[in-house]
Amino acid sequence: MLRSISAHRQFGTLAGLVLLCAVFAFLSPYFLTVSNLLNVMQQTAIIAIIAAGMTLVIVSGGIDLSVGSIVALAGLVVGDLLHQGFAMWLAIPIGLLAGFILGGLNGLLVAWTNLPPFIATLGMMSVARGGALMYAGGGSISGFERSFRFLAEGEVFGLPFPVIIMAAVFGTVHVVLTRTRFGRYVYSIGGNEKAAYLAGVPVRFHKAVVYGVCGMLSGAAAVLLTSRLNSAQSVAGVMYELDAIAAAVIGGASLLGGAGTALGTLIGALIMGVLRNGLNLLDVSSYIQQVVIGAVIVFAVMVDMNLGKGLNLFRAQRETP
Amino acid sequence: MRLFLISLVPVLFALSCGREDVTSDSRPVVGFAINTLNNPFFVDMKTAAESSAVRENVRCLVQATEREMDVERQIQIVENFLQRGISILCITPNGTEAVIPAILRANGRNVPVVVVDSKVDARALQQAGAHIASFVGSDNVEGGRRAGEYIGDRVGAGGRIAILEGPPGHETGESRMRGFREAAESKGLEVVSSQVAHFDRSLGFQVFQNVLEANRELQAVFACNDLMALGAVEAISAAGRGGSIIVVGFDAIEEARDLIRDGKMAASIAQYPADMGEVAVATAARIIRGEEVESQIPTRIELITRENIDDTN
Repeated sequence: MLRSISAHRQFGTLAGLVLLCAVFAFLSPYFLTVSNLLNVMQQTAIIAIIAAGMTLVIVSGGIDLSVGSIVALAGLVVGDLLHQGFAMWLAIPIGLLAGFILGGLNGLLVAWTNLPPFIATLGMMSVARGGALMYAGGGSISGFERSFRFLAEGEVFGLPFPVIIMAAVFGTVHVVLTRTRFGRYVYSIGGNEKAAYLAGVPVRFHKAVVYGVCGMLSGAAAVLLTSRLNSAQSVAGVMYELDAIAAAVIGGASLLGGAGTALGTLIGALIMGVLRNGLNLLDVSSYIQQVVIGAVIVFAVMVDMNLGKGLNLFRAQRETP
Repeated sequence: MRLFLISLVPVLFALSCGREDVTSDSRPVVGFAINTLNNPFFVDMKTAAESSAVRENVRCLVQATEREMDVERQIQIVENFLQRGISILCITPNGTEAVIPAILRANGRNVPVVVVDSKVDARALQQAGAHIASFVGSDNVEGGRRAGEYIGDRVGAGGRIAILEGPPGHETGESRMRGFREAAESKGLEVVSSQVAHFDRSLGFQVFQNVLEANRELQAVFACNDLMALGAVEAISAAGRGGSIIVVGFDAIEEARDLIRDGKMAASIAQYPADMGEVAVATAARIIRGEEVESQIPTRIELITRENIDDTN
């Protein structure tokens, strides 16, 4: 049995999430209600969608620090277009395209100039933030049509619309990572770039695309955030990169590359969302909340690493005659 | 599995800190979504709100965002309050317009909203169909005006002055600046530089270093909050020009008061965050009791200088 469980690398994280929920359910009568659980998922959606893109980047052996700034800039592009009278179905794809281009620039820098991803995306973080501040003169673009507000506020069959988008994004990323050649290439690049290259994987192309997709998903998050706030802000998304990285890493992605799953990241994002929600419900002081969240990130990753080691040991013993 | 349990230790630790039995408490609950607790201003407000709650016999839950401008997180806090169930919401907005969805959520649950300290854009509020019960806070335009008059009296007409601005589009900062500029104009001052430093101390330092470099004859600076003023004071002393430039801030936080006593800073406009917290919760309690409340409740402001610093609190 342990063997089949160990095949699912996200088991450890899932158990962590369930335990966390059990603790909050025990401590607060307000936690385990349908409306609160939907509330948590809805609150998690924006970070989770960015984290899905971050997972691709991390699996490929990179990191993207620019996602928060891309959220701000792409959000302003969408907001501006909507204010200029563009239809929603046109403004949103252009916003996604803006994200894709900004992310793709990261990818080009990383793939063709051999700049470390940390540096390339650190640069983009500053450039895109500055761009956003210039675009809006440091301010914001506010007030949109009801149809646009539906994206963040609406419900379909009782499910908040952002949750549906989140599910669709994670379903797609899961399939891409596990069932397509593209996914296998991304794992192989992150696992051993040189070997992948020698085996004939178009390394540069795939790296560039991975950053592009991460940027595009940041653009998608930007659309939801703009709708949620009814306002596109030049200061939006500050530090989102850290939440997204944390979600992926809690979910078992390795910053060394080659490891990470869509499902794991989703669970990682939900752990962060549940923590924030639960600590709010219990009226825990805001200072302690930050301490707890930081501690949980570290512990979750520690547990995940040790659990993996333990199970591998177990498997090795069974397989040795 | 053992390690999982270990990972829950910090959570349990946090929960054991000052928890009381939630369910057996029947007092009405005031949810106070406060800007951030990284700023002593809001810490004072929180402390006063909590002691006011004891007097009014209500429960006051205070939750703050980690970052000052994070409206999205503030909306989450309001949503979580509403999940928990509160009788009334007090909120110091993290964004003039972007906070409106949170107010709408509260309206949707028939939870009255008291806005504290910084105002919400009235037009956007109306457009969104949102409704607030009352605003509690100081008149920032008047505060800025007093700062302008003070500097005008000190440097005289034609004086060269600089402004350190808060985040663009932030109602509080812009009101202070508007008041200041009105007074500066009527006193005939020349604004040679007006730069954004986002209410931030280290940005205030950096920006003002550049301002000093570019304007050798600068006589005075008005910073739209004290954190930026503290940064400016550091920049002035780093440039070896201590005492030559009049620095006026806003908020009169403890560190600024110390500098005023030492003569390194000339003045600050005192707002009384403790008054705001106290009046906000008292107003909330009145609303809960079904009393009518005024739509604007001003709290006091004062110009603090070395001369009057020990007479005020």
